[in-house]
Amino acid sequence: MTVFTGTQLQSLGRLGRSWSVTAVLLVGASIATYPLIYTVMAAFKTRSEFASNRLGLPLHPTLANFGQAFERLDISRLLLNSFVASIGGVVVTLVASLLAAYAIIKLRVPLRRFAFFLIVGSLLVPFQSIMYPLYDTMLAMGLIGQRIGLILAFGAFGLPFSTFLLAAYLGGIPDELLEAARLDGANSFNILVRIILPLSIPAIASLTILNFVWMWNDLLLPLLVMGGGDGKTLMVGVANFRGQYDVNIPLISAGISVAIVPAVIVYLLGQRQLIKGVVTGAVR
Amino acid sequence: MAVARPPPSPPRIEVRPATRSPRLNLLRTGRRTDDQRSWWGLLYLLPALGLVLPFKFVPLVSGFVDSLWHLVDVGGAGQFVGFGNYARMVGDPEVVAAFANVGRVVLTLPVWVVSPLLVAFLIHQRTPGWRLFRAVYFLPYMIAPVIVGSIFREILGTSGPLNILLRSVGLGWFAQAWLGGINTALLAVVGVSLWSFFGLGVITYLAGLASLDESVLEAAALDGAGFWRTLLSIVLPMLRPVVSYWAVLCLGGMFIWMFPLLFSLTQGGPGYATMLPEYLVYLTAFQFNDRGYATAIGIVLFAVVSLASFWIVREMYASSVARERA
Amino acid sequence: MTRHKHLLVFAVASVVAISAAGAVSSASAADSGTHTPVTITVFNWGQGGDQYWADANKAFEAKYPWITVKAESVPFEQYLQQEGAYINSKSGPDVMANNVGLELFERKTAYLPINDRLTPDITGQLTTYKWGCENFDTTQPCYGLPQSFQGNVMYYNVKVLQAAGLDPQNPPATWDAFNAACDKIKATGKACIAMGTGSTVAYWDYPEIARNYLDEQGIVDQFKGKIPWTDPRMVNILKRLAEMADKGWFQDSASTIPMLPDGGDVFTSGNAGFIASIVSDVFNWKQWGDAIGNDNLGVMPWPVIDANAPLAHKFSGVEGFVHGVTSWSQHPDEAFLYVAWLAGADNANLFLQEAGGQPINKAFNASLITNSPSFTKIQTLIKDPTLHAGVLLSGKEADALSRGYQQIMLKQITVDQWVQQMQAALVASPEKKP
Repeated sequence: MTVFTGTQLQSLGRLGRSWSVTAVLLVGASIATYPLIYTVMAAFKTRSEFASNRLGLPLHPTLANFGQAFERLDISRLLLNSFVASIGGVVVTLVASLLAAYAIIKLRVPLRRFAFFLIVGSLLVPFQSIMYPLYDTMLAMGLIGQRIGLILAFGAFGLPFSTFLLAAYLGGIPDELLEAARLDGANSFNILVRIILPLSIPAIASLTILNFVWMWNDLLLPLLVMGGGDGKTLMVGVANFRGQYDVNIPLISAGISVAIVPAVIVYLLGQRQLIKGVVTGAVR
Repeated sequence: MAVARPPPSPPRIEVRPATRSPRLNLLRTGRRTDDQRSWWGLLYLLPALGLVLPFKFVPLVSGFVDSLWHLVDVGGAGQFVGFGNYARMVGDPEVVAAFANVGRVVLTLPVWVVSPLLVAFLIHQRTPGWRLFRAVYFLPYMIAPVIVGSIFREILGTSGPLNILLRSVGLGWFAQAWLGGINTALLAVVGVSLWSFFGLGVITYLAGLASLDESVLEAAALDGAGFWRTLLSIVLPMLRPVVSYWAVLCLGGMFIWMFPLLFSLTQGGPGYATMLPEYLVYLTAFQFNDRGYATAIGIVLFAVVSLASFWIVREMYASSVARERA
Repeated sequence: MTRHKHLLVFAVASVVAISAAGAVSSASAADSGTHTPVTITVFNWGQGGDQYWADANKAFEAKYPWITVKAESVPFEQYLQQEGAYINSKSGPDVMANNVGLELFERKTAYLPINDRLTPDITGQLTTYKWGCENFDTTQPCYGLPQSFQGNVMYYNVKVLQAAGLDPQNPPATWDAFNAACDKIKATGKACIAMGTGSTVAYWDYPEIARNYLDEQGIVDQFKGKIPWTDPRMVNILKRLAEMADKGWFQDSASTIPMLPDGGDVFTSGNAGFIASIVSDVFNWKQWGDAIGNDNLGVMPWPVIDANAPLAHKFSGVEGFVHGVTSWSQHPDEAFLYVAWLAGADNANLFLQEAGGQPINKAFNASLITNSPSFTKIQTLIKDPTLHAGVLLSGKEADALSRGYQQIMLKQITVDQWVQQMQAALVASPEKKP
């Protein structure tokens, strides 16, 4: 982040008064947040209150829905399942994509274009079409119902996006740095660990947040791999609330509100690192 | 007003890729490394390929084989029909409707590409509260799509918050059953998806903006360039790779990630007004029990979206390479 | 030296542990006869609620101590999709469930026919079990056993009817009387019937209208794809369904909200006089009674359109869902014990009390439910069941029916167009090639 001096602020002023910027952003922000606010408010209402007072603030707020959600969800187990799968998936994706991006962009391996398009292009494979063949493949590899199976599946599905972003980012690292290190006798692995890795922290931080969020929220893969038994993730558990056995929107809202908290926490943790990284990156 | 001309030479050199802005430099013929070293480098690709091949491509090929059969009973053996499933698609009004719909959705792509950039650029101004805005705009993306669908089904209902708002500001004539109208339903679905994915675009663009050389922006500001001119003539060209990547991501999203939203919002209805190929694949496989046919539709979907993405990437890079050489 | 000592300690400890384990397991084996412990996985959609299944599985395990039940459930929305993965890969749970009708028959390769395991004392307790068998014939392969009896009724909110000047003890029994009643209810500002979109129209509403136009042979012919939707009988069925929408019997939002759960909400919030739903374990007397008060809830059969129709006064009843032994199960004997237990008398009362289910086992005790007049009345309503036309629709037909009905409610298509769509769906149904 650049620190603005007085002169620079003046020049910003020419790009538009900061208040009009804020105003526009504020309108967008309310559109962005209202649906969630609506849901969180619903979580604090009883069913009868929700029926009569859909929009307003809860007049008689209650924690009963949260209590019921915790009770029905076996929350500690589901949280653990989701955490292990999501964090594992993030690690697998980051390692695989960093290595791949390094090989393609910096090592310039043969067949790099093919590999790049193969990896990044796999983004476009529609899940519904490969669902059953994927299940068969994973079953053959002994991965169904195993945590490691879900972690690897997450890793594979997060790979294209992460590889592209890292490739773009690594492209911005000057080759001269690497040349200098090579002349000093470093091999490709040393360069990766000592130079590329520290410089990639901002990209890695972003990818951690982005991958964690979609892995945490995903329903299709965890359902396919882990099923609806003890190994299920939190989202699958919350989806159970939506089953035809519940006309209880406040209860569902409570489940939703609980399920979103970890993703928010990871974002808040990661974004500080993001700021630091951006500072380092820009001053470079 | 002074016309903003491209800044003089020294800043221009800084703008060139390879130093500051992250660029995809695959298409540049760069330096060649020793061949000896390169072949060892392939080892670095093993983890990625070891994931992508068994989890994506093996199932894809297997799916393609499935699409050559008429598979009806769940778990049954089926009959070989070769490309019969593909031929059937051509005359099938439901398949045609689904692809026509996705075509309509793709027409909204410019909005998807430009509006997050606008917001990102505004946030990039670092006006008071910019960190809060950045977090807030990202918030919708953190809500699971299937839940977003539930929430918006509430909000877009005939007596839901949106219509109440419209009525209260005197736009009551505009209030309607958003998810029930033949024309408005698809628009509503697109709007909800945009709301959901918007934050990802903002973050992507912010990352791109953060790696831009600030001095160029400052020089432009000193030259008297207005907000829009800076955005469109200077920032947009510099962010070409990010823009094209985000465009491809949106395109992919439109073709293959709308499923949870469709599932919880409209189930493809009313009639087939919001039926998209991805959802049709699901219905055909699990509701209509026609699995071979469903997989065929999915394969065609994959082919279409790959071609479209490939075309976009080529267009963006062709023009950018041409600009560089100019 | 220390290393060898550690190894020795380890060896001794192992021997002790193994013999202790052996003693324990042989002790427990002695308790349960000569059975080796077995774990079976049961997969269903948690019908009736998680609490009921937890208690049912505990009761089963108490009766068969060497069997452990691992329960797996997902909401019905995802059930068929997940089940398909198991069926396709021929692996997974030992016991699965499906709704009877085409849903079950399309998946018959997943199930082990159980005819040779059925004994008279299992089957004698059941009102019927033929729906889980090929061609509804118990001499042909049977794929599962039922525990519930399912069918369609109309519930009503007593207070809403009273406010409209109607007599809750004598609800409208004919179509025309119902129309008049609807006008009165609408005059009080409430909706007549709470309604929503989704496949429920195929299973909860269509069969009730169909009973007035098709006899049992007709229903079977339709199931086999022999009656086109252009046939006057089918056209009339669709016309009557459309009439309900055109005459404004539903609340305004009916065309854009899903029946599950929002349609139900309309009824439980007291904004509608009637709701057309089902008898057993969900969207039934228990759920509505809990919401609006058991004494405030009434139930009646659907109003009759043609009093002379052979099936007009019967009840579209069917086995609710069956559990069966999967064809790949490594423990078919234990799996069958589970399936038979679910169909048995022990489960029947548990199912009734905890899940609000309508047991199909004759040994259930209806007087266990003392506080719901609706439940008591239902016991008389279901006495004369006939074929359920809804479960005999193909997946494509059911989809076309509900999709088309939403468009009818939105006034986007005419009945003629709907007929064409239904016919196209029938022709394209892989399961109904005549």
